Amino acid sequence: MAEIVFGSNTMQLLIALILVSTFMILGSTRLYSCVRAFGIQSFLLACVAGIVAYSTGKNDIYIIAVLTLLFKSIVIPYFLIYIIREIKVKKEIDLYVKISPSLIIGGGLVVISYYLIRSINVISELSSFALSASMSLVSIGLFIMISRKKAIMQMIGILIMENGLFLGAISLTYGMPLLVELGIFFDVLIAVLIMGILIFRINRTFESVDTSILKNLIG
Amino acid sequence: MIAALQSAILQIIIILAFSPLISGIIKKAKAFFQIRKGPSIFQPYYDIAKLFRKDSVVSQNVSWIFHAAPIISFAAVMTAGLLIPIYITSLPLGFAGDLIAVVYLFALARFFTALASLDAGSSFGGMGGSREMFVAAMVEPALMLSIFAVALNVGSTNLSYISQTLSGMGMDALSPYQILAFVALFIIAIAETGRIPVDNPSTHLELTMIHEAMILEYSGKQLAIVELGAMAKQLLIFSLIANIFFPWGIASAGSGISALVLALLVYMLKIVIIGLAMAAVETSTAKWRLFRLPDLLSISLMFSFLALVSFIIVKGG
Repeated sequence: MAEIVFGSNTMQLLIALILVSTFMILGSTRLYSCVRAFGIQSFLLACVAGIVAYSTGKNDIYIIAVLTLLFKSIVIPYFLIYIIREIKVKKEIDLYVKISPSLIIGGGLVVISYYLIRSINVISELSSFALSASMSLVSIGLFIMISRKKAIMQMIGILIMENGLFLGAISLTYGMPLLVELGIFFDVLIAVLIMGILIFRINRTFESVDTSILKNLIG
Repeated sequence: MIAALQSAILQIIIILAFSPLISGIIKKAKAFFQIRKGPSIFQPYYDIAKLFRKDSVVSQNVSWIFHAAPIISFAAVMTAGLLIPIYITSLPLGFAGDLIAVVYLFALARFFTALASLDAGSSFGGMGGSREMFVAAMVEPALMLSIFAVALNVGSTNLSYISQTLSGMGMDALSPYQILAFVALFIIAIAETGRIPVDNPSTHLELTMIHEAMILEYSGKQLAIVELGAMAKQLLIFSLIANIFFPWGIASAGSGISALVLALLVYMLKIVIIGLAMAAVETSTAKWRLFRLPDLLSISLMFSFLALVSFIIVKGG
């Protein structure tokens, strides 16, 4: 029964939309639209978790879905917007790799992760879409971390990677034990808080959140 | 034979009669969004009728290409119109070509318009022509990829077969690759019809225009043909979107008169909705710098690429 869920049209649609939201982050040059796209991605992820919970009938996963909805798609985006407002950072993103090459690299990463996943013998053929999407989320998140200069974008990159891991975990195991999930969850939340404080500190010391000037010595 | 000829003539008449109206509706909707009164939705008809009554002024230095280009472009667009399902899936010229022929007929029309823009030797014309080719070089791969994603899904490149199959599938037609290809094709439609993030249809500021700069030298009857061709191309691209991605309600071959009338009404409704969406996009975005356009079009390319890849992942296992 669980295998049917991942082949179903709605599920494929949600996973495709998650990929689209990742490319929205990759293709935009504004901080606010990146944060908004991240919120949409987390919302879609919560929908995926909700459908898995509905089809497997496990109550734990409902809790996970609600938590994802509350924290990842509402609290964390608002926290990011709060940081952007507080430190009055320029709204444009500075890039090491320009928009169109990074979109093409993103497409390449999707293909690579598909081939990587295909070489693993996945239990069901149909969840290979979810798995390769999760793999590409992880690699695109990493790519965003290394190709963007703003510290906030690196935070978003690591959150995308975390979303990818969540998608992979839920599509392979149909929900890990509640305790493990909650542990990961609060880990992410605390990480976001610490990274937020770190960004404030970077801003106070260097008067910018551009990570490329962190190499400079300050005496 | 006679029936095919009749349906071909009917299709041409519908395209020509309806394409100025959709331009007028988009203009009116834009005016509404900007809290202006705006011209009547029938204004494009009056404009074209006025232009047909006027004489053409032609530069002494132009060659035959300048005179031939409007007619060739118009004929290419109309031929493409016979290959795209409008309100009925059976096509008058369906045996002669498919999706790929439509893409290249549009390319032929564009090629001759750009050639004519260079012919008169005015600097603005050449600028418009070079910009048009710059945009076209990025639009075409994205257009091809998104069309291939749809064609792979259905298993044919024949447009009438595609819309017939998809309209028979019901809500199952809303597969992820279909939706990704739709988003890609919508961005392409913005570029192809010369709408705001790419080109401004209502500008006459020389530094920003693309399509208007190319046809700057035309006047009178030739301008009327060029304008009508551009409007018909816009309508055809909208019908391509409507009948590939939302094919429900299209009539199939051998339907009765009442079914045909109903299909025509549903078709008009779909086109008006797409036009209103275009007007909303045009109002809510600012025109992009020319050198930022590769970003927009590579987003479209990426969407169609994702459509293809997700099709291969889901179906190819």
